[in-house]
Amino acid sequence: MSDPVVVDHVTKRFAGHTAVDSLSLTVPSGIIYGLLGPNGAGKTTTIRMLMDIYEPDEGSVRVLGTSAGGRAHSERIGYLPEERGLYPKMRVLDVLVFLAEAKGVPRRSARAKALDWLDRLGLGDWRLRKVSELSKGMQQKVQFISTVLHDPDLVILDEPFSGLDPVNSQVLQDTIVDYRRRGKTVLFSTHIMEHAEKLCDRLCIIARGRKLIDDSLTEVKRTHGGKHVIVVFDGSQGGAQQLFGDRRLVAKVQDFGQQAELELADGADPQEILRGLVNSGARLSRFELASPSLHKIFVDLVGPEAATAAAVPVGATDKVSSHA
Amino acid sequence: MHKVWAIIRREFVERVRTRWFWVSAILGPVLFAGIIVYQIVQSLGGGVRNITVVDGGTLGYGKKVVEALGASKTIRANAVNLVPGVLDSLKRSVEAKQLNGFLILDDSLPSDGKAEYRASNLSLQTIDELQRTLNRVVEKVRLEGKGVNPTVVDWAQALRVTLAQKKIARGEITTENAGQSFALAYVMAILLFMAILLYGVNVMSSVLEEKTTRIIEVLVSSLRPFQLMLGKVAGAGAVSFFQFVIWGVSARLLVALRVPIARLLGADPASAMDITLPHIPFATVAVFMAFFLGGFLLYSAMFAAVGAMSSNEQEARQAQQPVTYLLMISYLSIIGLTNDPASTFARTLSMVPFTSPIATPVRWTAGSMGMGELAVSLAMLLIGIVAITWVASRIYRVGILMTGKRPTMKELVRWVRA
Repeated sequence: MSDPVVVDHVTKRFAGHTAVDSLSLTVPSGIIYGLLGPNGAGKTTTIRMLMDIYEPDEGSVRVLGTSAGGRAHSERIGYLPEERGLYPKMRVLDVLVFLAEAKGVPRRSARAKALDWLDRLGLGDWRLRKVSELSKGMQQKVQFISTVLHDPDLVILDEPFSGLDPVNSQVLQDTIVDYRRRGKTVLFSTHIMEHAEKLCDRLCIIARGRKLIDDSLTEVKRTHGGKHVIVVFDGSQGGAQQLFGDRRLVAKVQDFGQQAELELADGADPQEILRGLVNSGARLSRFELASPSLHKIFVDLVGPEAATAAAVPVGATDKVSSHA
Repeated sequence: MHKVWAIIRREFVERVRTRWFWVSAILGPVLFAGIIVYQIVQSLGGGVRNITVVDGGTLGYGKKVVEALGASKTIRANAVNLVPGVLDSLKRSVEAKQLNGFLILDDSLPSDGKAEYRASNLSLQTIDELQRTLNRVVEKVRLEGKGVNPTVVDWAQALRVTLAQKKIARGEITTENAGQSFALAYVMAILLFMAILLYGVNVMSSVLEEKTTRIIEVLVSSLRPFQLMLGKVAGAGAVSFFQFVIWGVSARLLVALRVPIARLLGADPASAMDITLPHIPFATVAVFMAFFLGGFLLYSAMFAAVGAMSSNEQEARQAQQPVTYLLMISYLSIIGLTNDPASTFARTLSMVPFTSPIATPVRWTAGSMGMGELAVSLAMLLIGIVAITWVASRIYRVGILMTGKRPTMKELVRWVRA
């Protein structure tokens, strides 16, 4: 099976600025792929180009194996835009059937699936109510149903967690994980690293329209993390201090007495330090390779000024992470 | 195509479900029924006017006029002498609605031909009848004054000429009379104007709704903007067509039921038989529908573009004004068009795509337009539709995803060129 999404040297300019600058990325089949970046990095523009809403100025986009964008495959793609809405005056069931039909799903099966999903998410009794009578959380569920109702092979979600209440956020996460389990592909954008860290198999960090990293989560953490070691002694420190002084192994030490945090020198192998400590007669209760959080990596990569833009919404709008 | 069909269906179903659709669907026939009932009631004698003839002379002309009015079905008259205060008391009677009006004359009537009618409502029909009666009385008095035998005068005045009116339209003599074809053209023009405006604005608010609720982004990810616009216009068009069908069918039904309605109101069923729909030839219906469709497509494309470039109702109201003015030109020209459908003015209006949707059906109905001119008018309209839809769809395509301030003229030009 070919890669569901291939973005090849795509550039998009708007009056005055370049939103996406020669960006290339590939989403392999059957994984959860995170498109990360601070606000204004070009995530939404990239996704809109995937969905044929914008035309790239340069480069090309391939979705589900053909050179066409997402519009030609709308019945196989579930797209949830960042700015989502429903017709407030329509009945819930009618909206769902209509949105599915607009994607090319036959009316009859759209109706059956919509009823099924409404029941599953506890909205069965609301199917004949007007959308405007629903609470915000219920409307989010309806929007979400409209995205996945037709059981798409590829799901593209733009900032899916923004504004979700904890319950819906959990429903969304469960569904994303379930999709991968069933061999489908999920691409989602976010500026909230906690979600990416929990869900993504692979991720791409972009800033100012350019790609900074595109790799699997493990690889990102390995190459950009793993440079810290936390040592907790159990009584005797042995010849630890001598070892910590070796600048070929340890770049910096923060010694708290019974505990020390080491920042390793370039190219140093943590295993060598462990061996050295044991040989020096130190007794250890803990030796930990501390990988920095994705958030730390992100901030290091995009720079403090971009990170502030990203960090503010993390604290301000991210109600999700504390519950999920 | 399946996707466009979904858009059309939603637009149609959601509009037809609204209260307003049914209010106007019912209001049309109710109005029409009102006209029928009014005509029946008129024939029952509800339209009789009571007037007083005030005679300021001594030769008894007032009595003669009252006598002559005795044969009238619509005017009931009595005569009084002009005594001091009578004019004031009659004026009060008119104000109190006890009297419709009063006619003032004196002995100089047959010599200088002057009389005066004062009334709260100067209806043409009453004036016409009074004038005719006065003429006959004056004629009779003058002839008798010259020694003509009164029976001869009566004999001469007994015959009334009836003038049959036949219209020559496109080389054929039709049975409809001038009044009917004027009324038909007028009603058509008003209907066209209202339908285009109403349903055009519907397209605009529908576009705006999708934009403000942001649902547009999901839609354009599965349909091309042009398909979306097309579906919207077609859906709204179908609703207005449906509205016309409801009106047409109910008008036919009411006319078919006019005799039972008359019986119900206690009127003579025979009098109700006079109420007929003007005979509308098939060609006229075809021209009407074709130009309604054309005008609707043209204007709703423009209204769709207006909706797409606005971010809220208020902006849309402002931005729609130029389009509405364009349509108003035709509306304001309706009187001019119906009065002289063959003038250069009317000819010009029926060739310009923005005005032809109203001007051409009016001129065609009035019979002042040949097949050749009709074909040119239709061709011009088609060219107009293609050009305007192209421009509108370019504005629509960019506009639906734009938020924030309204675009300037310069930006609009860039959208179209992009």
